[in-house]
Amino acid sequence: MRRATGGAIYSGMLSIEEEYRVLCAAFDAGVRVPRPYGYLPDVAGRDAFVMERVSGETIGRRIVRNPQLASARAVLPQQMVEELARIHAVALQEVDFVPGPRTPPAVGAYLDGLREQLDTLPDAHPALELALRWLREHEPPGHGLVLVHADFRLGNFVVDEHGLVAILDWEMAHRGDPAEDLAWPLVRAWRFGSDDGPVGGIGPVEPYLERYNELTGRRISPQDLFYWELAGNVRWAIGSARQGLRHISGEERSVELAVLGRLAAEVEYEVLHLLEQVA
Amino acid sequence: MQDRPSFAELLDAVREFLETEVAPQQSDHRARFRTLVAINALTILQRELDREAQLVHDEAARVAALLGREVDIPDDPEDLRALVGELNAELARRIRAGDVPEGTLEHLRRVAAAKLAVASPRYLARYET
Repeated sequence: MRRATGGAIYSGMLSIEEEYRVLCAAFDAGVRVPRPYGYLPDVAGRDAFVMERVSGETIGRRIVRNPQLASARAVLPQQMVEELARIHAVALQEVDFVPGPRTPPAVGAYLDGLREQLDTLPDAHPALELALRWLREHEPPGHGLVLVHADFRLGNFVVDEHGLVAILDWEMAHRGDPAEDLAWPLVRAWRFGSDDGPVGGIGPVEPYLERYNELTGRRISPQDLFYWELAGNVRWAIGSARQGLRHISGEERSVELAVLGRLAAEVEYEVLHLLEQVA
Repeated sequence: MQDRPSFAELLDAVREFLETEVAPQQSDHRARFRTLVAINALTILQRELDREAQLVHDEAARVAALLGREVDIPDDPEDLRALVGELNAELARRIRAGDVPEGTLEHLRRVAAAKLAVASPRYLARYET
């Protein structure tokens, strides 16, 4: 069961009921998700939904390292693009309540969102300003509008020795550019300290991208993927800084969040490292 | 002046206690993970104690030079932090306005590397291999 937390809901995040409807649409489209059983408007004062219980590993660090999951790592990148192709084929009218632009390209709205979030941080972040400037000056052609999961990465997958069992955490889903989802698992934080390839720290980019294009008929280039990888790193750099602030402000006191505030410098360094490649 | 243990020694005593007595006792993996995070936080502070004053001083001098500003670098650590915050805000505004000073990328990379030398040296080392 997934129940509303009653905590702050960030703008752009789906309600529990909307998340349930997205899960149903994904299930109907044949995406590997826990089978949705029903939406419950009132469970001890908050709403919730019930889905099938699935078993497997979800912790990213273990998925990239555990010897028992070596067989899963061999097939996971290909399974990921197969699932992405299915998610990106969900008819938008079935999920017309999700946020996001109504007309392509989606990149402008994405950058506006980053700008808005960056402006909520109390301190200046010149490195992220520099990256945003580059992103504004190099907007790639769009690849249409699709349903994007928006947190499609190791850590949100249930994995067993055969590979991908289910995709979880649909609350960030929105209308966007398919390259956003495709590049998100390449973001260094989601490689969980593993250097066996950019895709989730476990696989090479070329077959992953080729297979996606083959399945969808889209033509997303390595340059587009690089662009969205940089944009994803900027998004997570802001996200890490916000995690630290949740502790500092008292919204959620936690030593983990406090240390994440300091580890935002890791993401910032990766942003600058990527910028150096195109400078 | 305080009696010994010094700041660094007292910090080390707490870290050692968490490492040798608290962490091994945790059977719940979440609680154990948080204990390891707390130990990491103290380790960050130990590195910070040794280096931060010099790092902030260098950052102030470098960002001022990048912006072409002449500044007096204050001795008081709080004033120094405020100055760096102000200079970084000016750099951020200039970048946003499209007036990016020559050498900005290299400057920012050095600043981020200096932060990581304190906060996450092992992460930084991965870029050097």
